[in-house]
Amino acid sequence: MANDKGPATQRMPDTLPHQEPAVEKPHGAKKDGWVGRPIVRKEEARLVRGCGKFIDDFKLPGMVHLRLVRSPYAHARIKSVDVSAADKHPGVLCTLTGAEVAKLTTPYIEIGPEPSNRIQDFSMAVDRVRYQGEPVAAVVALSRGAAEDAAELVQVDYEILEPVVDPEFALSNKSVLHDAMGTNQVWNGVFEYGEVKKAFDEAAHIVHIDRMHFHRFSSTPLEANAVIGQWDQKDGRIYFWTNNSFPTIGIQLIAPALGTHMDNIRCQTFDIGGSFGIKITNYPQMTLCALASRKIGGKPVKWAETRTEHMQASAHGNERTFLDTRVALDKNGVITAIESRHIDDCGAYPRYEPLGCVIWSQVFPGVYRFKNARIDFTQVVTNKCPVGPNRGYSRMQHLWFLERVVDICAHELGIAPDEMRLRNYIRPEEFPYLTPNGCVYDSGNYPRMLEMAKQLIGWDEWKKKQAEARKQGRRIGIGIGTTLDSGTNNFGQSRIVNPNAPFSGNSQAANVKLDIYGEIVVSVGSVPQGQGHETVASQVVADVLSVNPDMVTVRAGFDTERNVHTGHTGTYASQFAVSGLSAVHGAAQKLKSEILRLAAYALQTPVEQLELGLGKMGAEVRVKGSDKSINYWALSNIINVNNAGLPDELQDVTLNCRYTWRAPFKIPDIERKYGNLTLTYSSQLHIAVVEVEQGTFNPKVLDYACVDDCGTVINPRIVEGQVHGCTAHGIGAALMENCSYDEAGNMLASTFSDYTPITIVNMPKLKYGFIETPSPHSYSGAKGMGEGGAAPIHTISAALQDALYQERVYVTESFNNGDSIFRGLEQRKAGKPVGGVRVEHRG
Amino acid sequence: MAFSFGGDFAVQPSPQTVYAFLTDPQKFAPLLPDFQSVSMQDPTHFTVKLNVGISHIRGVADVKMELSQAEPPSRAQYKGQGSIAAGTVSMTAGFDLAPDANGGTRVTWRGEAQIFGRIISMAGGLLEPLAKKNIQKLIDALQTALNTGVHAQAGEA
Repeated sequence: MANDKGPATQRMPDTLPHQEPAVEKPHGAKKDGWVGRPIVRKEEARLVRGCGKFIDDFKLPGMVHLRLVRSPYAHARIKSVDVSAADKHPGVLCTLTGAEVAKLTTPYIEIGPEPSNRIQDFSMAVDRVRYQGEPVAAVVALSRGAAEDAAELVQVDYEILEPVVDPEFALSNKSVLHDAMGTNQVWNGVFEYGEVKKAFDEAAHIVHIDRMHFHRFSSTPLEANAVIGQWDQKDGRIYFWTNNSFPTIGIQLIAPALGTHMDNIRCQTFDIGGSFGIKITNYPQMTLCALASRKIGGKPVKWAETRTEHMQASAHGNERTFLDTRVALDKNGVITAIESRHIDDCGAYPRYEPLGCVIWSQVFPGVYRFKNARIDFTQVVTNKCPVGPNRGYSRMQHLWFLERVVDICAHELGIAPDEMRLRNYIRPEEFPYLTPNGCVYDSGNYPRMLEMAKQLIGWDEWKKKQAEARKQGRRIGIGIGTTLDSGTNNFGQSRIVNPNAPFSGNSQAANVKLDIYGEIVVSVGSVPQGQGHETVASQVVADVLSVNPDMVTVRAGFDTERNVHTGHTGTYASQFAVSGLSAVHGAAQKLKSEILRLAAYALQTPVEQLELGLGKMGAEVRVKGSDKSINYWALSNIINVNNAGLPDELQDVTLNCRYTWRAPFKIPDIERKYGNLTLTYSSQLHIAVVEVEQGTFNPKVLDYACVDDCGTVINPRIVEGQVHGCTAHGIGAALMENCSYDEAGNMLASTFSDYTPITIVNMPKLKYGFIETPSPHSYSGAKGMGEGGAAPIHTISAALQDALYQERVYVTESFNNGDSIFRGLEQRKAGKPVGGVRVEHRG
Repeated sequence: MAFSFGGDFAVQPSPQTVYAFLTDPQKFAPLLPDFQSVSMQDPTHFTVKLNVGISHIRGVADVKMELSQAEPPSRAQYKGQGSIAAGTVSMTAGFDLAPDANGGTRVTWRGEAQIFGRIISMAGGLLEPLAKKNIQKLIDALQTALNTGVHAQAGEA
């Protein structure tokens, strides 16, 4: 497709070579530097050759193994725990019970306000289990096998309690999970903006949707949770080797629980095989490994989760129910107001929640222009696995809700879904766009993305094929999903949930230095899990210092001792491209400034006459228009090795530059729930063609297009990989993956055989394109990306709606498979309504 | 995962004889499918060790049983709870005894079982048919034992 509509660039599918050289492959042909080129990831060679360093690969001297004994019940009182047989098992070094953990630690800090902050959350159940798979004891043994065998000897006597599985039932408080809280309601707040009543009074149409439901699913990273913990008796410090993806928060929770100082904890991460957010939640197991290590005299203790444990009891994504939705529209189908009641199910313990109670409001209006809305938001605990941030955390549920609203309204009013969106999208000329709740959308062009996606998929041709197919009785639907990926949180939004929350703003740190031999070494505190931080950081530094990315060594992965972290450091919320790279860029700029000052002294030439570049001796500073130069090794030598006689004005030069980037946020207005909650807004627009197969009713994706806009693209290859990943994740969630529970709280999909995660076999060939609307909120114009807003879930729901609407089956569940579609159609055949949708036309 | 079961049958012995049989764990427990051993804690509490095999999940289950209702000679009820590595089962099984016209006994049996744990995820589709099959084996063995006095283990009758 020609770039014929302004400054945005775009690429049709199949133009990106699959084998590219590591360097010098211009992409998009508009950038002079390294940023913007699809260079091969520095990480790839070691990862694809099996040379990554993952926690379960570590074998430390004296290391032993911890196995957890888990509850088979969702809700039960613990009457007794007998570990005597396990203690006697050969190879067992110690056991831990909940009662012991409660004596040795204090409960984790609760983020929520009264009364949810009364919850007593330990690393192990003490007197009651609240979800199936909750740890009730631990066994530590010389080998993993011995620990597993001994764990089966632990005898736990339970008294079964009434399980709370349904979030609406949870609100009845007929069975309360946490007696100290006295209710199952974690939080409630009303988010109201504009003139909702007036908008409904003046509406030409009002659409009612009784109930919609967004299901639980997981992130299913290739690598499950793992940690090695050591409470060293020699120096009294605690050492963690972990794949936790937000270790600064982890150690802020662990240190008080263990009664130690944060500085007493050293925490390191290495290669991580995916997280998508949920590895933020493995800090309880980190605590247990430290406790066990202390109990056995300081040996390192490894815990490596099995897949079944991961599926059953690590962390799931939030489940959300949308009730009593009303949508006001004008005579042209423009939405003027929405009101609805949302119940979020966070599982047994809020933990990182209830931040999700406000995070969804970063995308309050989605991509739409409506100004009047009232959302009554409640979060409850239930006897299910605790939730954790899961790719698109808290926002994807809301975005799916909005996309269903728009889509259902379009069908009900007889407006084509693409036209409906064009009438309601925020317009390109309105950016930066102020949302009703005070967020500032930095940039975007949704109509342009829609146009591109329609061309990619062949919209008109599919419409013709669809019409023909319908004559043959086939159910083919074409669906659109438009979504947002908000990146770089303002932690001040936590105060909307709890006015006493001690967080605000956002920051990241990085260090760039010339080491003793003049090599460029970058240290970042981020915790990459496949995002390519080493690569993109080297691209940014290469541009600043006029070198090749191969000449930049990046130390990625978290290490408290590197001193490049702040309280916000971690990899989450689509932010590295903005926060992490801003810190890297700032540190590189500081280093460049020092290099130039030092070179000016060495070359006896004013800074203005110097330039950085590559010479015969590698990276150098030279006098413009001459062959007079000094290379980086020589400059580093002056500072680090041969520094006698350095003049006073250069005493502050270290060539070792740390920079902390801080986001320009203010604390939101807590009463109004108003303020800028996020810095950048990437957007995704997907179109799917889906057929409900005759006979089996299985939905099958026939064609799929995705268009992405993450502002200035730093590495197109990495962005495209992220788009493929999040599209796979979303298609899997929409059609295959469901953390379902039965009425007793049994988790019914605790193996991959039952959960059926998506694989390459199930993936359609993606037709991919992108536009770039540079963000005015980041130094480079880049926006954070990678979560993808769960666009495929919205898109496939819309496509199924299109396929089933003529039979008046409304798609009000985010998970749909052959079984649910069959049941919906059967219900309609029996004359029963499916979906609870009705419309008031007011003339 | 919960399911109910029940039925009735007639046997030749009198209600007193049937009641005595049913409430004697040493006689009743060996009829359980894949029985290994029984150990008595007191006259109404005992633990039965059973071989368990569901698809590839194999092991030994200790099932703690309690004679929870004993109303001679008309009713006996057992409650039990057992566990294997992948899950637990809680069950109740009651027997109502009434004299029939032939001097024998009509036994009406009703029960409920509830299964918890990841075994449901791993073998959920197999559990209910397997449980029904084993319950039928138990009832068949019980009938044989009562009619013939031969205490054959379920499945061998």
